[in-house]
Amino acid sequence: MKKIILLFLLSAGLFVSCADLEVTPTSFVTEDKYFKTQDDAVASVAAVYASLSLDPGEQSLFGRNLYFLTDMGSDYAAAGVSATNPQVRAMSALTHDATNDRVQVAWRQIYAGINRANVSIDNISKVSGSETVKTRLINEAKFIRGLLYFQAVRLWGGVPIVLHEPTSIQLESLKSKRATVDEVYAQIIKDLTDAEGLPPTYSAADAGRATSGAAKAILTKVYLTRKDYPNAIAKAREVINGGYGYALFENFQDIFTKTKKNGKEHIFSVQFEPNQAGNGSSGSTFQSTSFTGFTATEPADIISDVALFYDIYAAGDTRRDVSYAKKLVNPVTGTLYTFPKPIFKKYLDLTNLATPGNTAINFPLIRYADILLSLAEAINEQGAPTAEAYELLNQVRRRAFGKPITTPDATVDLAGLDQVTFRAAIQEERKKEFVQEGQRWFDLVRWGTLVTEVKKVTAKNSVSEKNNLYPIPQSERNFDPVGLPQNPGYN
Amino acid sequence: MLFLLLSYAGINAQNTTPLIQSKLDGTLVDDITNQPVIGASITIKGTTHGVVTDAEGKFYFQTGQKLPYTLIVSYIGYKKLEIIVDKNPVTISLKEERQELDELVVVGYGTQKRKDITGSVASVPKANLSQVTSSADNLLRGAVAGVVVTQSSGRPGASSSVRIRGGNSITAGNEPLYVVDGILIYNDNNNGSAGVSFAGASINVLSTINPADIESIEVLKDASATAIYGSRGSNGVVIITTKKGTKGHDNISYQGYFGFQDVSKKLHLMNAAQWASLRNDVQASIGQTPSFTAAQIEDFRNSGGYDWQSAAFRSSAPVQNHQLSFSGGDERSRYAVSAGYFDQEGTVLGSDFKRISLRINYEKNYSTNFKFGVNANYSNSIANGVGSNGNGGRTPNPIVSAVLTAPVVPIRNTDGTYNVTNNIYATSVNGFVPNPINDLENTINETKISRILTSLFGEYKITKKLTAKVAVSGDVINTKQNYYAPANTTNGAGTKGLASIGDRLVSSVLNENTLNYNTTFGENHKFSVLGGYTLQYTQGETVNAGANTFVNDSNTYNAIQDGVAVKPYSDAFESVLKSWLARVNYSYRGKYNFTLSGRADGSSRFGSESLWGYFPSAGFSWNITDEEFANNIKGVTEAKLRLTAGTTGNQEIGNYLSLASMGSVNYSFGGTLYTGLAPTRLANPDLKWEKTTQYNAGLDLSLLDRKVNFVFDVYYKKTNDLLISVPVPLTSGYATVLQNIGGVENKGIEVGLTTENLKTEHFSWNSNIVFSANRNKVVSIGNGVDQFFPVVPNGSLLQQQPVTVKVGLPLGTFWGYKTNGIFQTQEEVNTQPKINSLANTKVGDRKYVDTNGDGVITALDKGNLGTSQPKFVASFSNTISYRDFDLNFSFQGSYGAKIFNALNQQLEISTLGTNANVTLEDRWTPTNPSNEIPRASSSPLGIVSERYVEDASFVRLKLVTLGYTLPKSVSKRLGATSVKFYVSAENLVTWTKYTGYDPEVSSYEQNNLYPGIDFGSYPNSRTFISGLNVTF
Repeated sequence: MKKIILLFLLSAGLFVSCADLEVTPTSFVTEDKYFKTQDDAVASVAAVYASLSLDPGEQSLFGRNLYFLTDMGSDYAAAGVSATNPQVRAMSALTHDATNDRVQVAWRQIYAGINRANVSIDNISKVSGSETVKTRLINEAKFIRGLLYFQAVRLWGGVPIVLHEPTSIQLESLKSKRATVDEVYAQIIKDLTDAEGLPPTYSAADAGRATSGAAKAILTKVYLTRKDYPNAIAKAREVINGGYGYALFENFQDIFTKTKKNGKEHIFSVQFEPNQAGNGSSGSTFQSTSFTGFTATEPADIISDVALFYDIYAAGDTRRDVSYAKKLVNPVTGTLYTFPKPIFKKYLDLTNLATPGNTAINFPLIRYADILLSLAEAINEQGAPTAEAYELLNQVRRRAFGKPITTPDATVDLAGLDQVTFRAAIQEERKKEFVQEGQRWFDLVRWGTLVTEVKKVTAKNSVSEKNNLYPIPQSERNFDPVGLPQNPGYN
Repeated sequence: MLFLLLSYAGINAQNTTPLIQSKLDGTLVDDITNQPVIGASITIKGTTHGVVTDAEGKFYFQTGQKLPYTLIVSYIGYKKLEIIVDKNPVTISLKEERQELDELVVVGYGTQKRKDITGSVASVPKANLSQVTSSADNLLRGAVAGVVVTQSSGRPGASSSVRIRGGNSITAGNEPLYVVDGILIYNDNNNGSAGVSFAGASINVLSTINPADIESIEVLKDASATAIYGSRGSNGVVIITTKKGTKGHDNISYQGYFGFQDVSKKLHLMNAAQWASLRNDVQASIGQTPSFTAAQIEDFRNSGGYDWQSAAFRSSAPVQNHQLSFSGGDERSRYAVSAGYFDQEGTVLGSDFKRISLRINYEKNYSTNFKFGVNANYSNSIANGVGSNGNGGRTPNPIVSAVLTAPVVPIRNTDGTYNVTNNIYATSVNGFVPNPINDLENTINETKISRILTSLFGEYKITKKLTAKVAVSGDVINTKQNYYAPANTTNGAGTKGLASIGDRLVSSVLNENTLNYNTTFGENHKFSVLGGYTLQYTQGETVNAGANTFVNDSNTYNAIQDGVAVKPYSDAFESVLKSWLARVNYSYRGKYNFTLSGRADGSSRFGSESLWGYFPSAGFSWNITDEEFANNIKGVTEAKLRLTAGTTGNQEIGNYLSLASMGSVNYSFGGTLYTGLAPTRLANPDLKWEKTTQYNAGLDLSLLDRKVNFVFDVYYKKTNDLLISVPVPLTSGYATVLQNIGGVENKGIEVGLTTENLKTEHFSWNSNIVFSANRNKVVSIGNGVDQFFPVVPNGSLLQQQPVTVKVGLPLGTFWGYKTNGIFQTQEEVNTQPKINSLANTKVGDRKYVDTNGDGVITALDKGNLGTSQPKFVASFSNTISYRDFDLNFSFQGSYGAKIFNALNQQLEISTLGTNANVTLEDRWTPTNPSNEIPRASSSPLGIVSERYVEDASFVRLKLVTLGYTLPKSVSKRLGATSVKFYVSAENLVTWTKYTGYDPEVSSYEQNNLYPGIDFGSYPNSRTFISGLNVTF
C-alpha cells in the first residue's frame, strides 16, 4: 500500500515541475531577436520597399489604392459599373468626404511605410556588417521615407512628421500633430539629399533599388511642385547629365513591357513580380485587376469621357493604343473582341490574361520622360520656352510618334510658342503621356487647373477648390481634433 | 441475467430457513401506474433475508418469521419503504422518488447534492440527450435556460456557436469551456481546419465526441459554479460525463437508426422566362438592345429553363447511425465499452460526414482505499464539404453561385457532361466558365479528424475524511485536409488545377492533483474542502502546401510535386497554464450553505507583467422549507434561495499576442522575390485575461409534491479588460494595438419549469419549459472611440460594413439605411435626397431616409437596424407515454433577433448576368409604379438597408419522436430485456417571416463581431428517421 501512495505522489510531482510560463514563439520573429546581422538589415529594408506594392488584404499603395486619389479623383478616370465600393464611386464623383475609406487606407499605407523606414533607420546602425552597406540601406530607407512624405504633403498638405518607431502603446506617445507644409518639405529634401549618396547603379540582382539618380529625379519633382524652378532645373540637369545613362525607350510600349523592366527610361519603378503576395497573386496589380475579360461588363476602372481623353490623340501617336485598348485579341478564341468603350491597357499583361492580378509589369513611379517634361516646364515657367525646352518636349513627342528621338522632325515638333501656349502644350503632352501613372491629379493641382479641367467631365461636376487637397481621415482626427485640423471645405 | 439473480436469491432463501413459520406471496407495483416494479430488493427487517422481485414484480418469502413482520423495500428511483405485512398474499405500492434536491449533481472537480449547491447549475434533461445529432453541442439546444446554440449552417458536421448567458467578449473566444470526463477542452474550431485555402467552414471538433456515449451534461452558469475554472470560467462551463458501467448489470445494447434528409426550404428564384425579360429591361436601362426576343421568352416559358438551385441539392440524402455498447460491473470493477458509426450524406451535392468512434470507460477498486480508472475515446471523422469560392465577391461559395447562375444557361451539355464552356453571362477563364454544380460534384474538399481523448485517474482515501486524486489526461487532435479543384472548376480554372493539403496536430496534456476533505462538527456543521494544483500544456503545429498548373486532373492532391508549387506555410505554438484551485463548502444543518471557491491561473498567453490572475467567488443558499415557519406552506414542497457573486476570466485571447512581432512581406529586386521582415505588432507586456464579474440570484421551487418544479435565475455580468485591437493613430505606423480596454455588460433572466401534467395508470405527460432573456450591451471600446466597423472578410460585404460595434448597443448590431419607397417622378429625383456616391439616380430607384436632414444620403444617415441577438428564446418539450408508446415533441423559438440576409440582397440586385429573386417581377416600371422594388438597372452595388436586415424570429417544431417498446413478455421471448422502435422527424415545421433558407444561421461561424449574416450558408434540412434500440 505504501508503494501505491509513493507512486501516486511521484506521478503528481513529475508534472508539477516540468513547465515554464515563458514560452518562446517558434513560428514568427519577435523584435528583440531581430536586427542582429546585416541580413536582418537587408530584410528590413526590403520590407520598406514592399510597403509600396504589398498590403495583404488591401490594394497596395502603388498597386491601386493611390490611383483612386491621383487618377480617379482627377478628370480622365472614373468608376465603372463593376466598382462596387461606394467610397470609390464617391471618389470618382468627387463627393468623397473625410470618412472615405480609400483616403484613409492611403494615409495608413503611407504611414505604415514611413514607420517601416523609421524602424530601419533607427536600428540598422546597430547591426554587425559593412558600414558601406549599412549606410546604403539607411539611405534607401530615407529615399522611400522622403518619397512617401512627398506623396503625403501633396495629398493632404502639412501632415504629421514621424521620424522614429513608437516605443510604447500608450495613446499619447502614438499621437502626432500636423506640421506645416514647409516643415514637411524640409524633411523631404533632407531625406532625399541623404539619398543622393546612394549608388548610381546596382548589379542586375539588385536592380530596382533606389539610386542617387532616383533621389535627384524625385527632388526635381519636389522643387517643381514648390515652384522652386532654379533648383528644379539644376536637379533635372544632374539627372540628365549625371552619367546615369538614362534615355527614352524608342518604343513607348517598352515602358510597360515586363521583359524591359528597370530599363534605361525607368529611373525608379515600384517592382511587381508574380506571386509576390503568395499563391498566385502579385503584391498588387494596379488597374489590371479591373480587367473583366472579353465581356460587355464595364470594368471597375474606366475612362470617364472618350471624347475628352481618347479621341484627342493625333493620328500616329502610339501612346493611345498603349494606354487604351478599343479592340483586343482574345487569346483563347483567337478572335478580335471590340469593347463597348476603350479599356485601360498599360498594365494589362497580354500573355497572362487569365490571372491579370498576378502581373510582372512594374509601376514606373518616375521615368526619364517625366524629367524631360519637368525640366521643360521649369524653364518655361522662368519666362519663356528656350531651345532646350523645345528639344526636351519634342523628344518626348518624337518618341510618341515613333520617330528618331534626337532628330528634329517638323511633322511632330512644336515650335513658335509663347510661355502660355508652351505651358498649354506641356500640359497637353503630360495628359497623353502619363495615363494611369499617378500623375494627373498632382499635375492639375500644381498647375492650378484642377477645378476647370475636372468640371469638363459632366459626372464629376461636384469638384470644387477644396479638392486641391484630400481630407484628413476622420478616424485619425477623432484622436486629436485640435492637433489635426481638417483641410478647408471638409468639415 | 435477472433469472440468475432470482434463482440465486431463491436458493439463498431456502438454505437459511431452518423452520418455516410463514409463506408470503407478494407483488410490488408503482403506486400510480400499477405497473410491476422489477428487480427491487425486499428484505425482512432485522434479518439478512432478502429477495428480488421478478419480471412480473412478484416476490416470495418462506421464513421462520411469523406474520406480521416489517419489509424494507428499496429500488432505484423510488422512495425506500418500510411496511408491516400482516396477510398473505400482499400487494405493495411503491412511490416514485421525486426528491430532486437530493440528487447528486456533477460540479467542477466533484459532485454535490443539489440541495447543497449555491451556484446556478442546470442539467440537460435525459430526453434531450437521445436526440439524433452529429455533435454533442447540439444536445444543448433548447435544453437549458440561458444557453443559446446557433448552428452555423446545415452542413453535416457544421460548427455551432454556444453562448451561455450572452457573449462576454468582443474579440476573444466566447465559447464555453467543455469538461469531458474531467478533461478541460476549449472548443476551438481552428482545430478543425489545417488552414487549407478555399476549404470553407471548418468542421466542428466537438463532433469527435459521439453523442450516444453521453450519460449526462451539466451546464455551470454563474461565477460560484465556474470560478473553480478561473481564467476559463467566464463563458460558462459544460460538463459532459460519458456512460459508465454499473455494478451487477452486464448488458449489451444496440442502438441504430436510418433516415433521410431533404432541404427544408428553397428560395423563390426567377425562372428562365422571367429572367430573360428582366435582363431585357436591364439592357434597356443602360442603352443596350435587349437580347431576348418575345419568341425566345415564350420558349423559355414553355421549357422552364434550368433550375440551378435544385441541381445543387441532393434529395432524400441518407443518414444512419449504429452503436453497440457493452457495460456492467462486479463488486470491484465497472466497465462500459462502445463502438459507434455515424454516416450522413449532406443535402448539398458533394458533402457528407462519417464518424467512427470507440470508447472504453473502466474503473477498478484496487483496494478499499484505492481505485483507479481510465476513460478513453478515439474517433475518426471524415467530412466532405462545400468549399468557398476563391473569387469571393458576390459568390462566396458554390451554393450561392448556383443560386445566382442565370436560369437560361444549361447545367449539362447534351452528352450529359457538365456545361463548363458555354455561359455568355460569366467570365471565361482559360476557356472555362464557372459551373457551380460541377464545382460541388468534382471539387475534392475533405477534412479528416482523428482525436484521442483519454484520461487516467487514481483516487486514494488517505483517511476516512481525506481523499487524494491524481488525473492525467491527453487530448490529441489531428486534422488533415485535402483539397483539389480540377482545371474546369471555378477555383481551378485560373491555374489549371489547384491542389492544397494541410495538416494540423494539436496535443494537450493535463495533470490535475486534488485533495478533498470532508468532515462534520457535531450534528450541525458540515464542511468539505477541495484544494488542487493543475497543469496543462498544449502545443500545436500546422503545415500546408499546394501546387497548381497540373498536366491533368488525374492525381488530384496526391502528387503536388507534379505541379507548380505555391508558397507553403507552417506554424507552431505552445501554451502553458498552471493553476491552484480551492473550494470550501460549509453547510449549517443543511439549511444554510456557503461556498467559497477560487482559482489562480498563470498562463503563458499573458504578458510578462501580468502572468497570474486570481478568480474568487462566494455563494450562499438557503433551503427555506427546512425552516419551521415554512413547514406548512400549502403546496410548497421545497424552496431554496441562491445568491452568488464572483469573478472569472477568459484566456481565449490567442497565443503570443503580448509580444512584438515581425511579419514577412516580399519585394522583388532584379526580378527575384526577396523576403522582407516588417513590424506587425507592438509589444504589450500588460496583456492579460478578460475579467467578468457576475452576480446571480436564484430561486428553486418545488410545488404540489414536486409535480411542478420551477427554477428562476436573474443575473448581471460585467466584463472588463476586454481584449480589443484598439484603433490607434495611423501615423504611428500601426492601425491597432491589442489592449485590455473594453467592457461589455450582460443581464438577464432564466426560467426553467418542469411539470408533471398527468399521471395515471397507463398514461403520463411531462413537460419542460425553458425560457431565457439576455440583454447585451457594449460599455466601452477604448481610446475614446465609440464605434467601429468590423472587417467582414468578403469583398462585397467588407465595403458595405453591415455590422458595427458601438457603445451602448449590443454586439452584432446591424448598421444601415432605412428605405423610403421608390422615386416615382423626375420631380422627386430632382428635389429629394439621393445617395451621394451614386452619380445618376433615376426614376424608379430606391429612396433612402435622410435621417440627419442634410439633403443628401451619406454614411451619416445610417443607423441601428437591430441586432442578431434575440430578445428571448424559449423551448417547450413534452414527453407523453401511453402503455408501451411514448411520444416526445419539442418546440423551440426565438424572438427579436435579426439576420442580415446578404444573399437576398444580392438576389434583388438586377444585373446582366445573375439570377434574381422572383420578387423582382414586381419591379418598378412606368406602368407598374411599385413603391417597393426598384427598376431594373445594372448596378451591382449592395446597400445595407432595413429591407435586408430581416426579422429572424421563429417557432420551430424541432423534434417529434414516437416510440414503441415491446412488452416485456414479448421481448423476453426474443431474448432481450428491452426492445424499442421509434420514428422521428426533425425540423418538421418552422414558422418564421425570414425569407432565407433558415433563421438559425451564421455564415461566419463562431465569430463575435459579425454574427447573424446569412451569405448563402448551407441550408438546413428536414430529417425523417426510424430507429431501433435493443438491450440484451
